Amino acid sequence: MIHAVSDTNAQDFLSVPDLLEHSQPRPMVPWLWYLLGIILLTSMVGAYWGSNNELASFVLNLLTFLVMVGSLAGLMLIYRRTARLFRREHQQVEAVGELIQLRHWSQAAGLLQQLMSSPMRAAPMRIQALIFLASVQARYHRFAQAIEIHEYLLENVQLDPMTDHGIRLARVIALLHEDRLTDADGALAELRRTDRQRESGGLALVEMYRDIKTGHPSEAIAIFQQRRSAIRQQLGHRLGDAFVLLACAHDMMQQRELAQHAYTQATLLVPAVELHRRYPETAGLAGTYTAADWPLEVSP
Amino acid sequence: MNTQTTIARARRDMFITMLVKLLLLGGIIFTLFIAPSVGMESNRMLLLVVIGVLWMVLSYQSIKGSRMAVVSSELIASGQYDEAEQVIDNSLRRFSLYKIAKLTSLHHLAVLRHAQKRYRDAAALCRELLDRRRSLAGELSRQSWIILANSLLELGDLKGAYEALRHLHRGRLSLSDALNLLQIETDYEAQIQAWEHLSRDLSTKAQLAELLPADSSARVQALLALGAFKTNKQPWGQFLRQRAELLTDDIKGLIRHRPILRALWGDEMSDLSEPD
Repeated sequence: MIHAVSDTNAQDFLSVPDLLEHSQPRPMVPWLWYLLGIILLTSMVGAYWGSNNELASFVLNLLTFLVMVGSLAGLMLIYRRTARLFRREHQQVEAVGELIQLRHWSQAAGLLQQLMSSPMRAAPMRIQALIFLASVQARYHRFAQAIEIHEYLLENVQLDPMTDHGIRLARVIALLHEDRLTDADGALAELRRTDRQRESGGLALVEMYRDIKTGHPSEAIAIFQQRRSAIRQQLGHRLGDAFVLLACAHDMMQQRELAQHAYTQATLLVPAVELHRRYPETAGLAGTYTAADWPLEVSP
Repeated sequence: MNTQTTIARARRDMFITMLVKLLLLGGIIFTLFIAPSVGMESNRMLLLVVIGVLWMVLSYQSIKGSRMAVVSSELIASGQYDEAEQVIDNSLRRFSLYKIAKLTSLHHLAVLRHAQKRYRDAAALCRELLDRRRSLAGELSRQSWIILANSLLELGDLKGAYEALRHLHRGRLSLSDALNLLQIETDYEAQIQAWEHLSRDLSTKAQLAELLPADSSARVQALLALGAFKTNKQPWGQFLRQRAELLTDDIKGLIRHRPILRALWGDEMSDLSEPD
């Protein structure tokens, strides 16, 4: 899957500036006002010419009637077509979301490329598509592009607090992957400041990753112990991510047994390959520790 | 909001809506074809404009009402049930030119009642919606079947739940519908002790369960583990039980909610396999 994109790693595939530009929605044509204008004009002409001549009056009345019926029919057709196109766009964006959840990354990338290469119809759908695009870019380790999208969204779009928080978290992870540690630290401080009221499991996970990246394993372990419940409640199976980071922290502190225990639990929840792809720093654990046994049919 | 009264009011409103639409259409036909023959030719344009404006104003009001009701989904999701109820009530009391707006509000009320665990009310609302499913968009219809199946299961009406589940298997489901269906079917099959069915295709079910929130995922995987043990698939049973244990701290709560799961963590674990 990954090779599918790197093979076609032509500059224009999933190119962020191109997709940002091409997906910009076009302003809608105000058909209703045009038609109202035509009807009004026809009525006025009818009133002026029809008052003197009976034949002209008949012809203009007929014309007014035809224009009116035609306009209403045309308007209905336009609305139906627009509604159908909106619905199709909504379904496509939903399909991208499903493909991402099911980890069918190359298909999601292909559909996003197709969807965003021409003007999108609804601004909210475009925002959702951009969020998905950032996930796909991050999956292919194109973190600079993912950051570009996050920053575009944060600077240009009024987001609801939950989405805003999610994007900021994703941005910090991408910054950490890019080794922009100072920027990541600043962004984390900002997140911690705005996150006081809710205990964010996502933030705890990102902080653990930051501590692993910067060589502070004991801090990562402390965060896990304090926030394990929030991580589990909010992230479900992504608790496996926290366990693999915990295993890495124990390994850094030479606590082999604890590392093995955490690694087993991590790989019970998420396949080891997937975890090492998400956090390349943990790849070394695979050679030292034994992953959990998955029943044959779902062996990763 | 009393459910039966709400349903009766919605029925009455939809009837009035139909009458208003017929009146407006009748007005247009009268203006175009009958008015000239009764000497009202000079006022035709004025009449048409009045009807057109009236139609537009009513449409605008209806769309505004529909948009208002959308907020209720977010309120339900964030657990603000009283506020959601207020929004739905307002939206149901508002006049709407479109039948679908009333049906959507009824659907939101069914979602709310289901979230409040008022399963009898949720089932009554879903039945009302599904009786009119020709007017209902595919997505709303599917979601109504899902809520109905789950509510009936919670009420212990296994036959009714089975019928609702059968309907859900007829069409293509979105991922989120498939996840809801997985939870209901797992529960249903465990309740009727259809262990073979429950432990079929465990690989796909386990992967889908990974996408559920922690508590639901723990419950589904625990039930699947039980099915696996009952059908002598020990590695699967152990694997799924361990995952369920990682996803919840509250095994006792899980058992309280689904007493059948006592077998998974009780002393009788060694006797779980069914005799051949």
